[in-house]
Amino acid sequence: MTIANGERGFLRFAIRCGAVVLCVVCAVGCGQKSAPGPESKASKTEGPATPAKKEFKIAFSQCNSAEPYRTAQNNIMKRDIAKYPDCELFIQDAQQDNAKQIAQIENYIQQKVDVLIVAPNEAAPITEPVKRAKEKGIKVVCLERNLLEPVYDIFVGADNVKIGEMAGQFVAEYVKSKGIQNPVVVEMKGLLGTKPQEERHNGARKFIDQISNVKVIEDVANWIQNEALKRMETILQANPHIDVVYAHNDPMAVGCYWAAKNAGREKEMIFVGVDGLGGPDGGIKRVLEGTLACTFYYPTCAAEGLECAVKLAHGEQVPKEMILEPARITKDNAQEWYNKVTVQ
Amino acid sequence: MGTKDKVFQHSWLRPFATLAFVIVLATVFSPRDGGSPIFWRADNLANVLRQISDIGILAMGMTLVIISGGIDLSVGSLLALSCTIFAYCFTTFQAGYAAILGVALALGATSAFGLAAGAVITRLRMQPFIVTLAVMIGSRGLAKWLVGNATIAIGYDVRTKPVVDFIGQKAFVVPTFLMVTLVALILLNGTRFGRYLMAVGGSEDSARLSGINVTWVKIRVYLLSGLVAGIAGVLYCCETHQGDPKAGMAYELDAIAAAVIGGTSLAGGKGGIFGTIVGALALGILSNVLGLNSVDENVQWMLKAVIILVAVWLQLLGKKKTT
Repeated sequence: MTIANGERGFLRFAIRCGAVVLCVVCAVGCGQKSAPGPESKASKTEGPATPAKKEFKIAFSQCNSAEPYRTAQNNIMKRDIAKYPDCELFIQDAQQDNAKQIAQIENYIQQKVDVLIVAPNEAAPITEPVKRAKEKGIKVVCLERNLLEPVYDIFVGADNVKIGEMAGQFVAEYVKSKGIQNPVVVEMKGLLGTKPQEERHNGARKFIDQISNVKVIEDVANWIQNEALKRMETILQANPHIDVVYAHNDPMAVGCYWAAKNAGREKEMIFVGVDGLGGPDGGIKRVLEGTLACTFYYPTCAAEGLECAVKLAHGEQVPKEMILEPARITKDNAQEWYNKVTVQ
Repeated sequence: MGTKDKVFQHSWLRPFATLAFVIVLATVFSPRDGGSPIFWRADNLANVLRQISDIGILAMGMTLVIISGGIDLSVGSLLALSCTIFAYCFTTFQAGYAAILGVALALGATSAFGLAAGAVITRLRMQPFIVTLAVMIGSRGLAKWLVGNATIAIGYDVRTKPVVDFIGQKAFVVPTFLMVTLVALILLNGTRFGRYLMAVGGSEDSARLSGINVTWVKIRVYLLSGLVAGIAGVLYCCETHQGDPKAGMAYELDAIAAAVIGGTSLAGGKGGIFGTIVGALALGILSNVLGLNSVDENVQWMLKAVIILVAVWLQLLGKKKTT
């Protein structure tokens, strides 16, 4: 091997390194600019001539943007931040990963944000880092899922037991009004071991189990429409008659509906869901179409959470807890709710 | 041969080029607080080290496995299994030694899986990819079945809190990571086992012909990988205050990424611990700085992909086509 060969190797190495640095600089540069983009743009629409100075940083650590309910939260916050020209909003998605959410909260502490809005992925792992944020003087709004200790300034949430009870009552009323003897109810459950699943189950069963001669068929579809469809296909095979399907969220209720429709049996039963999201793919639209007989609005808590965050940033007082009311949505009031909760 | 070129012939030096790039980029793009980059704040650097510790520990075992010419896809699931077993034992048994029993059972279980994988790979001559894939699926199932899909909150009562807080703190996690690294470094570079490992990875037949007990070397390497996955699992459990059978999803891929960024060749026989530290650091620093800038998580994934390809490409350079 000659010296010339070696030198050329070094030159090539240097050139490649240079090219790499250039590329990464560009890439990171783009990423950096685009990150707070949508939020700051949104806030500028308020006063186009004089963009207000961003005095406060509000950071939202979202546990999993892939769920429609949480996408709705993000959209509502992005929309509403425009109302507060002196606040800047950052949203990061932990993609259902506790370790990732912990890292994000640690980063927000380093960035010295003013307010942290956190939708904890799970209570136990996220309590500690939130506590540390609080100790560093960051105000904390805890959204919808609670922590193990009240290490926040305010908890904004909704009551899943209550929403379960409302669903159970609806089912009981329906069975009674139709005078059904020996009713068969399918309960399609969300991911086992999660709190909303337990609460929506316990709340509903308080009433469903009171119905005389009721037969309840339980199955688990992990909140997912496709899984519910498969599970329901099996249930339809095993049960010649079904009266009511109660699913712990709307997508699963819709999955059950499709299974029944494929079997030509969708008229035989009604479908009841929970969540009541707006938009063309949300549960309220399904009620309007008649796919679901009823859904229950589970408050997204996003508008209220952001409002509290802004108040905290300005040093205003907020209560320690804010529990928002669920609502029953049937064909009668679906249009009204659709307009109310759909985010453009 | 030019002296400049000689520098790049040192295999352990090459990965540092990657690290230098990432650090320079991190400094340039770190958001600033009163002029100084947030990235360089001691707190933040400690965060980075803690955030890479779990993957880093897995990557040490992974590096040894890859050098032997194999692959271990089961480490993420074994982390979850260890995490779950530790939390389950510690919360179920009330005795004073419950924590020690938990650690012992957790590490015992993951080591046993590693041992079993190694035995099947060598004795039944099945491919490591397939065997460890089976272990990945099976041990995840076992972890979930043990606790019925639930997660166990841990470290919030008087009995478990001191232990969990102690193990979960940065000052314990990071040194543990460094200890594992040191042991791996010594094993690979300072023992007969390490030399055999290189030989087996380089050419199994030659190793066998020169009298090395290939089977035993390979079994040990999978056993070690299982053991370190167990260690990472206990740390993960205490850091997150939770025994979670869903933990560590896709961590095996991050561990492989750290190893290959560091210059370990999937063909076996080549690689080193220094490289893997650099790989883990590069990934950790990258996601830290992007996180500090609130860059979208998905953009981080795309950049990670680019970094992996580029780092490996850069390493091809120092090498000469000698034949």
